[in-house]
Amino acid sequence: MNDTQKTNQILFVDDDNVFLDTIGELFSAWSHGRWQVYRAQSADQALEILKVQKMDLAVVDANMPVLDGVQFLRLLTRRHPDLKKVMLTGLATEERRSLCLGNGAELFIEKPRSSDGLRSVFVMLDELMTWRPREGFQGMLRKVGLQDVIQMECLGRNSCILEITNQQSSGRIYIEDGSLIHAVVEKLSGEKALQKLLSFTGGSFQLLPFETPPQRTINGPWEFLLMEAARVTDEIAQKKADGVEPVAAETASPTETIANVTVAETLICSGAGEVLYEWQCPDFILRLALLQNITQSAAALAAELPFGNFDRLEIKLGDGRAVLQSRADRLVFVRAENQLASA
Amino acid sequence: MNDFLQQWLAARVNAPGTLGAGIRLPDGLCVYQNTDEQFPAEKIGNLLHQLGQAQPQFSETNLAPQWSTWIFEQGKVRCVERPDGWLLAIAVRADTDAAQNLDLLSAEFLALQV
Repeated sequence: MNDTQKTNQILFVDDDNVFLDTIGELFSAWSHGRWQVYRAQSADQALEILKVQKMDLAVVDANMPVLDGVQFLRLLTRRHPDLKKVMLTGLATEERRSLCLGNGAELFIEKPRSSDGLRSVFVMLDELMTWRPREGFQGMLRKVGLQDVIQMECLGRNSCILEITNQQSSGRIYIEDGSLIHAVVEKLSGEKALQKLLSFTGGSFQLLPFETPPQRTINGPWEFLLMEAARVTDEIAQKKADGVEPVAAETASPTETIANVTVAETLICSGAGEVLYEWQCPDFILRLALLQNITQSAAALAAELPFGNFDRLEIKLGDGRAVLQSRADRLVFVRAENQLASA
Repeated sequence: MNDFLQQWLAARVNAPGTLGAGIRLPDGLCVYQNTDEQFPAEKIGNLLHQLGQAQPQFSETNLAPQWSTWIFEQGKVRCVERPDGWLLAIAVRADTDAAQNLDLLSAEFLALQV
């Protein structure tokens, strides 16, 4: 095998051990080392393997005991949206085919009963492995905010380039494995470019396949960057409402303060309180309890006020500030500290 | 004391966009200043009560706020608690002069001397 050639990781999930052994040996041999075949006899075995090994393709038997193939397919689609999935079945019906394809399977094929059939399946899977879907989509920034799109990509730990265009300019935000790593617009790059792009009030965006940027210019946690952007956008909007035109430096770099703070801790939870991401929290249980209490307090305050829904709580601390956000689907806590002048 | 705080509120909490404000002292005494019909003294009292209940949560989680801002879709509530226990709450509409003045007002409240 050519050392530079990529080895494809393929997981076969089937309760029939004989079938697994057969295709494992045959397909490995036919691929001439291009396939690394993994075998699982049940859904839970497959999930254990997926925890430790990123796969290019999962081939799942549609008729498995306990958790049947279609349910497992749904689970895979939710947990591993980028994983290609193929369903194998001993009894193909049109109804089952529609069900599988509708739940994220790329192919729905009958289990082969001959060596020729096995060879055909191998060729199909090999072809699927090299096939790349037409990636990227287009959308208008109207109902969906740019921050929402970035948040989805980061929470999903995706890698992509977000190309944003409005009437005045266009720029790009690079996301790698769920981290904001680079942004560029006009002559700006890094956090200033990110802030500029996030201050756009309208335009269009396109998600492009990830490419390594020429340099990494952003290192801060995305949660803080997005919250800071929200705060700055509020301030600029307020100044505009007051008739104060933001000065050029302000619009080009709406948040100089971001360079003077450092994120000290971050906690992100689902709306139900499941910890999704935690970084340097001295006691995340305490922070989670605070977020949940704040959610209750905010609801009580909202009932007294004609201000609509609660968005966030900003706390000015002696050595920095904290932002707590409570939404139906997420709870976020970020604390930042002011940097010393010599830092 | 009551009159002094009332005068201070009347003089300082009058920017366009203010719904109302109140100060609660550790002994429970409260003074109110409402500038919007939608936000009567009773609501300000409720606001002070809610914020007063929320404040201990911060110290329990090792946070020591100089002030906090509860941000809603169309407005903000600023809460400032002094070391001596005086608590200021002010509700303002978003994108107004009142919202712009919150930091200055908070700093003045913290520095206020009787």
